[in-house]
Amino acid sequence: MAPGAAPVLRGVDLDVAAGRRAVLVGPSGAGKTTLLRAVAGLEEVREGMVELGGRRLDRGVPSHRRRVSVVFQEPRLLPHARIDDNVALPLRAAGVGRRERRARAGELLEEVGLAGMAARAVRGLSGGEQQRVALARALCGEPELLLLDEPLTAVDPNRRESLRRLIVRVQHDRRLTTLVITHDRAEAAELAETLALMLEGRIVQQAEPRELFERPASAAVARFFGTGATLRGTVTAGLLALDDATAIPVSGPDGPATWVIRPEAISLDDGAPLRAEVVEATYAGTHVRLVLRRGELRLVMHVAPGTRVGIGSEVGVCLPADRLWRIPGEDAQVSARS
Amino acid sequence: MRRPSAVVVATGVLFAAPLAALVVRAFADVWRAPALLPQRWGGRGFEAAFAGDDAIPALVASLGTGAATTTLALVIAWPAARVLGERRLHHPAPVFMLLAMPLLVPPYAVGLGLTEWFLRLGVTGTAAGLVLAHLAVVLPYTVLLLLSGFGPEIRGLEEMGRAAGLSGAERLRWVTVPALRPTLATAALVSFLVSWSQYGTSLAVAPEQPTLPVVLLPFVGADPQAAATLSLLFLAPAVLALLAAVRAMKAPA
Repeated sequence: MAPGAAPVLRGVDLDVAAGRRAVLVGPSGAGKTTLLRAVAGLEEVREGMVELGGRRLDRGVPSHRRRVSVVFQEPRLLPHARIDDNVALPLRAAGVGRRERRARAGELLEEVGLAGMAARAVRGLSGGEQQRVALARALCGEPELLLLDEPLTAVDPNRRESLRRLIVRVQHDRRLTTLVITHDRAEAAELAETLALMLEGRIVQQAEPRELFERPASAAVARFFGTGATLRGTVTAGLLALDDATAIPVSGPDGPATWVIRPEAISLDDGAPLRAEVVEATYAGTHVRLVLRRGELRLVMHVAPGTRVGIGSEVGVCLPADRLWRIPGEDAQVSARS
Repeated sequence: MRRPSAVVVATGVLFAAPLAALVVRAFADVWRAPALLPQRWGGRGFEAAFAGDDAIPALVASLGTGAATTTLALVIAWPAARVLGERRLHHPAPVFMLLAMPLLVPPYAVGLGLTEWFLRLGVTGTAAGLVLAHLAVVLPYTVLLLLSGFGPEIRGLEEMGRAAGLSGAERLRWVTVPALRPTLATAALVSFLVSWSQYGTSLAVAPEQPTLPVVLLPFVGADPQAAATLSLLFLAPAVLALLAAVRAMKAPA
C-alpha cells in the first residue's frame, strides 16, 4: 500500500463466493477501504494477490480494464452531464453509440427506481437518488464484481432502508458477486449473506452474520458487535463462580474459559441470585440500555422502552445458560493469566 | 423576468458611464466642454487611428499573442495548479510567494530584465519572445485561478472514471476537463485579458512587434478622438471574451 496514506493490511484472506453478497465490517481505520481500493486497482498491491474468477488482477491489469465496478461513499456523479449520460459512462468507454447508451441507461434507471429522470440534470437530486444513479452506473459496466464502499453512509437515515433493499434486490436478481464495506454493525448484518470482520488490518472472523453476533471467534469480535457481558473464570462442576457468593450454571467442560452474551439476551429477574447495581439507564427509543455493575463485572443489557429503574438501585439479572457463548480458544489465554 | 434591483442598475450605470463617454468621444469630431454632447459628429478619429500602418497589425499581434499565451499558460499551469490545489506540497508558502512575485514586480521591470536574456537567446523582437514575456506575467494568474478547481472532488471523479473503465485520455476528456470547465473558462479569460492589456512588457521585449496597447498609448493626449477609437477596438475582444466566459460558466451542458 502507499506509504503514509493508507493503513497497512496484513494477512488478509477474504473470499467472496461467486454470485454472493459479502459484507466487510470493521471500525474506521481498520483497512476496509484500502482493501476495496486494492481490489478495484485504485491502490497498489505490494504483496499478496487479488484474484477474480481465477484470474490475477494485481499484476498488470490497470483499474480501468478490470471488470470491477465501484459505488463509492459519495455518489461522484459528473455535475455537467445528464443523469442517463452519467449512468452510461462505462458504455461510452466501451465505444457504444449515444442512442444505445441512453436506451440502456433508461432501462437501468428504471431498475433503480428513477424511471423518467434520464434527461434531467444531476443537480437537484437527493443524496439517495444520486446514490441510485451511482448504482445504475456501476451496473452499466456489467461487472463481474461489484464493490460498494459505505454506500448508505451519505444517505438520509430514512432513505437508507429502501436503498439497502434495492442493493439486495439488484444483487440477488443478477446473482452479482458483491462486496459491501461498512462500519455499521446493524447495516452489515442486514446486508450480508457472508459477513467478515476486519480489525487492525486483519480479517478476524468470516461467517454468516448470526455467527459473528452470537458465536464470536474472540472477545475482540464480541466487543465490536457489542457484548452484554464478558465473563472470565473457572468452571467447576458446571458452575462458573462470579465471586465468593454467586455462581451461575454454564455449559461445556470444567476449567478456565471466557463467555460472552448479547445485551438483548440478558433479562431483569427480581428473583435471580445474581444481583447488580444500575450505573446508567439510557432511553434509546426502541429500548432502554442499562449498564450494571457488580464488583469487577460490567453488564450491558437492552430492556423494553417502558422499563423504569433507578440509578443506584440493585436489580436481579438473569444470564440464560443457553445464550452464553463460550469463546473457543480463549481457555488457554485465561489459564495463562490466572 | 425579475426586475433588476437598484444595486444592479447602479452598478450598471457606474460601469457604463465611462464607456458611453468613450463611444461618444470616438465619434465626436468637435466636442468642447462644458457641452454634454459633441458639437459635430464624425469619423475623423477612425481615419486618424488607422492612418498609420500600425493599427491592424497591432490588433492581429495582440490577438495572436493573447491566444498563444493563454493556450500555453493553461498547459503549463495545469500540473502546477493540480499539485497546489490538491495540497500535495508540505510547505506551499514559498511557492505561493514565488507565484506572487511577477504580480508584485512592475511588468516593465520584468520586461527589461527578460530583454537581456532574450537578446542572448536570440528571441528578442520576435513573436515567440513576446509570448514568452507575456507568459512570465500571465502564468501566476493562470496557476492561482486554476488551482481552485482542483481538489478532492475532481480526484474523486477521476477515480470514479478509472473504476468505470475510462482510460487516462478518456478521463481527461469526459471527466476532468468538463468538470473543471467553469474554472478553466475563468483562468483562460483572465490569462487572455492580462496578455491583451500588457504594455510595459511588450514595449520592453518587442518594440518591433507593436501590440494594440503600444500603438494606442501615443495617441492618448495627442489625439483623444483617435485614442478613443482605438480604445473601443481594444475593448471589443475583452467584452467578447467576458461574454464567452460567462456563457461557459453558466452552461449546464
